[in-house]
Amino acid sequence: MLPAEPVAAAPSDAALIAAWQGGDEQAAAELVRRHARGLARFLSAAGALEADLDDLVQDTFIRAFRSVGKFRGQCQFRTWLLTIGGNVLKDAARRAKRTKLVPLDEELRASGGDPHERAVAGEAEGRLQECLRRLPRLQREVFLLRAQQGLEYQEIAAALGTTPGAARVHYHHAVKRLKEHLR
Amino acid sequence: MNDDAMLQDAKLRELAHRLGAAAAERLDVERTAGAVVERLRTERRAEPRTWVQPAWLRIAAVAILLLGGGLVTRALVRQPTSGSALVIPLGEDLMDLTAEQLQEALGSLDQAPSEENLVDTGFEGLTAEELRAVLRTLEG
Repeated sequence: MLPAEPVAAAPSDAALIAAWQGGDEQAAAELVRRHARGLARFLSAAGALEADLDDLVQDTFIRAFRSVGKFRGQCQFRTWLLTIGGNVLKDAARRAKRTKLVPLDEELRASGGDPHERAVAGEAEGRLQECLRRLPRLQREVFLLRAQQGLEYQEIAAALGTTPGAARVHYHHAVKRLKEHLR
Repeated sequence: MNDDAMLQDAKLRELAHRLGAAAAERLDVERTAGAVVERLRTERRAEPRTWVQPAWLRIAAVAILLLGGGLVTRALVRQPTSGSALVIPLGEDLMDLTAEQLQEALGSLDQAPSEENLVDTGFEGLTAEELRAVLRTLEG
């Protein structure tokens, strides 16, 4: 039996960034494919309307590619992208000045399982999103980066230009307030 | 941390993890990637023009400054200075001046005549030719 051909390892984000800087458009497309859903999840949880999601994701990537020369690898590309997404969302919200909530019925439509469980889960998510909206931006973003994206405090701190200790404090404040609101 | 608090934390994390998942799943990633690449392509095409424009503007600004500076310098050079010009008080009889003084006056003014100077300036603003004409008139 012939030995299986080694599977080519997927290029790292850093390699794709370098390729994009060298003019490879497909490298940019691959970075979008790799991170678009995670970014969309973050933006949606942070308050983006689903109707605006595609535009916000695009704008975030455009802004990131424009300033990719400033990215020094202080954190992962994904984390850096999420913080840019936070800025894009803030700018969009300032422009639109309108309430940003994912309608509850969309969440319910997308969930599987028992209708009653779906309704309860949807209601809980809706309440959490409502509570998140009330948090200061930094607390909201730290909470989402930690609880939703599963990032370490070190990574969050590097992306937000703060210390891991401060990131931890923001997270705990956010959790405390969310629990109070959700009670 | 007690069990209840841990359970609450775990529940919160689970909820947070689910937030936006459905909306993200519905995102057409291929279409988004295509749109981003197209926008980047458009920006790259527009880039050279964006960079050339300020360069041309800078060149134009330098040209305007040089031209303006040249005109100002020319105007200053053309203006008779108090050190080299002989001031002739109005009403004073030019016949009282010596030939040497008159020659000095003519020698210090060797610019071309100008219509405007004749209209709105005094003797100090007159060109050599105009002064000569004035002197000739006064000499009879």
